[in-house]
Amino acid sequence: MREITYLEAVREAMSIEMRKNNDVFLMGEDIGVYGGAFGVSRGMIEEFGPERIRNTPISEAGIAGAAVGSALTGMRPIMELQFSDFITIALDQIVNQAAKLRYMYGGKGKVPMVVRTPSGSGTGAAAQHSQSLEAWVTHIPGLKVVQPSTAYDAKGLLKAAMDDDNPVIFYEHKLLYKTSSEVPEEEYSIPLGKADVKREGTDITIVATAIMVHKALEAAAELEKEGISVEVVDPRTLVPLDTETIIESVAKTGHLVVVHEAVKRGGFGGEIASMIAESEAFDYLDAPIKRLGGVETPIPYNPELEKAAIPQVPDIVNAVKETLTKKAVAK
Amino acid sequence: MLKEVFMPKLSSTMEVGTLLEWFKEEGESVEVGEPLFEIMTDKINIEVESYDEGILLKKYYDVEDEIPVNEIVAFIGESNDKAPDTPPAAGNVEQSEEEVVAEEVVSQEEVTTSEEFNGNVRATPAARRVARENNLSIATVQGTGENGRIHKQDVVDELNTKSSKLVTPLAGKIAADQGIDTGSIQGTGARGKVVKQDVLGQQTSSVQETVELERIKLKGLRKAVADKMLQSASSIPHVTLTTDVDMSKAIEVRKALLPTIEAQTGYRVSYTEIIMKATACVLKNHPRVNASLIDNEIVMNQAINLGLAVAVEDGLIVPSVPNVDKAGLAELTTVSKELGAKARNNKLTPDEMRGSTFTISNLGMYAIDGFTPIINAPETAILGVGRIVEKAVVIEHVVEVRPMMVLSLSFDHRAIDGAPAAAFLTELKERLENPWTLLV
Repeated sequence: MREITYLEAVREAMSIEMRKNNDVFLMGEDIGVYGGAFGVSRGMIEEFGPERIRNTPISEAGIAGAAVGSALTGMRPIMELQFSDFITIALDQIVNQAAKLRYMYGGKGKVPMVVRTPSGSGTGAAAQHSQSLEAWVTHIPGLKVVQPSTAYDAKGLLKAAMDDDNPVIFYEHKLLYKTSSEVPEEEYSIPLGKADVKREGTDITIVATAIMVHKALEAAAELEKEGISVEVVDPRTLVPLDTETIIESVAKTGHLVVVHEAVKRGGFGGEIASMIAESEAFDYLDAPIKRLGGVETPIPYNPELEKAAIPQVPDIVNAVKETLTKKAVAK
Repeated sequence: MLKEVFMPKLSSTMEVGTLLEWFKEEGESVEVGEPLFEIMTDKINIEVESYDEGILLKKYYDVEDEIPVNEIVAFIGESNDKAPDTPPAAGNVEQSEEEVVAEEVVSQEEVTTSEEFNGNVRATPAARRVARENNLSIATVQGTGENGRIHKQDVVDELNTKSSKLVTPLAGKIAADQGIDTGSIQGTGARGKVVKQDVLGQQTSSVQETVELERIKLKGLRKAVADKMLQSASSIPHVTLTTDVDMSKAIEVRKALLPTIEAQTGYRVSYTEIIMKATACVLKNHPRVNASLIDNEIVMNQAINLGLAVAVEDGLIVPSVPNVDKAGLAELTTVSKELGAKARNNKLTPDEMRGSTFTISNLGMYAIDGFTPIINAPETAILGVGRIVEKAVVIEHVVEVRPMMVLSLSFDHRAIDGAPAAAFLTELKERLENPWTLLV
């Protein structure tokens, strides 16, 4: 099978859909001739024209409002937020309109829209362009939240998001845009709410999201050399969350480490840990659950500090060892 | 709040105490000043009293255990306190005050990080589930994890040990018939399996035990005496000098003083007191004989405190009579008699056994003349006193019958040479033969 990048997979999913379905269109800042801040929509305006690849004013509230309105009136808009940090400006439309209206109209109306937005640090974009705010939107009933970690997942999950009749927040990680994996040319859909076991193991479960899936896999490869068998579970969608796969894995291994880039405090890792504590996997836990997340500070501009602000492979390796080693490593 | 009960250090030479008896059980309440347990040191049996009130939560030692000084023997606390299962490391003899304080802080930390928290067992959910599924009380499992946390593996290990004793059906039947616990039998079969022969072997060995001779374990005071004697006899180069003493005039002196002293004190003055008095006077002139040898140093003692060897039931105790050189015979008689009685009744305090600089061992009540006493370390000499017996002696070319007594002086040749020791014993002989010189 051919390999394409994560970025190309996102573009391909949109293009395939737009060729079949005239209701689908893309809105965003500089997504036209410029191709968007990261080049995701490069070439699309040539194929679909400025009516369906719509450059917007620099107003995230305006983009989101237009998306909600067009979705309510029968279109299936995709809106691109240049950086997920700017969701702050769009949140009133997303939280108070998009998430609520289908419920408030008793199902008579619906808001089938996708908010595509790049998140995460690692590009030297500093505190206002590097955040991972996915936990915010997971708190809002009515919103679905997707965090693909590979090109294959990105294409299939975006298809499912576009097909969904609810607003879906689709987080693309900036550092993953350039990563490649085998992606079928034809259209396929990965159901929202289906986790993926990225690596099977028996000793410990790491639940990781987005870029942390890759760091967890790297850590797992290192730990394998020491005879530690790590299972890496990628939830892929935070809402809905595939609790079954995670519970099954933890019940099997008896140990859980949760890793995400977002700040640990109030991060989605707390939700996963709590979910396990409430589940039948609790009786199989043989060590305290450990969470790894970003430090409680805005993402620094200095590249070294930027790396230090989020979990790295050695941190995951240590967390696994601490969880599996009965005695504390350093006391 | 947990309070430690330490093994007290009752004398400068005390390194361990032997636990003789517990007066309290775990869970009993204890008042300040109430005796907790009795110990035996190298010199004395004594009851150790509680400094705190509360509940005796944990005893770490059993009777006959030898416990180093300053070691934590027990914990006293509130009923909801939880003492650690093993005694926290305790202080050393050489510790300074500050170190002791630091040690206490450490031991308290260890207490708070013990296996249990608020009385609950620290175990992972998985460990609890496996224990539950196997009807095993989680509290019986030894945790190997951080802070003693019980992990699943610990429960599995516990279950394995419980079921791991392999016994052949025949061996099991014989054992059951004979009321023998197969758990205590060392199996010789494959993988340690207990076979018929093992059970039969166990039977014969238990029969053999019944015809064995009575064996008295060296313990308590017997052990203390044994250790001290071995230490002294094997580490000190002993030399023993003997001399005959004509006790005619000493007898006269005793007869003359007997009614006076008895009227004054109620005690009858004995030769022991007269010999003590003479010894103290002579020691003043021979300070090296009154010295102690401690850590390669000859310590020149100022006071003349005489140890008095007292035979007690299955043992030997040496109370110390202080400042014998300064005491009159009446006072000396009172003190000696009282200490002797206390020693025999096991009522001596540590203070009353401390500080002797020279020891006298009197076997005069038996048909014994001379002997070779063993030095009461760290002293450097000991005087052995034999019986007074009438003997034919030649005095100025004439054979006369005189009451004679043999004195045996053992000295530490590391500290004292033969000539000065002989000079001491000679002067002692002269004093006893001319007891009025003691008045000078």
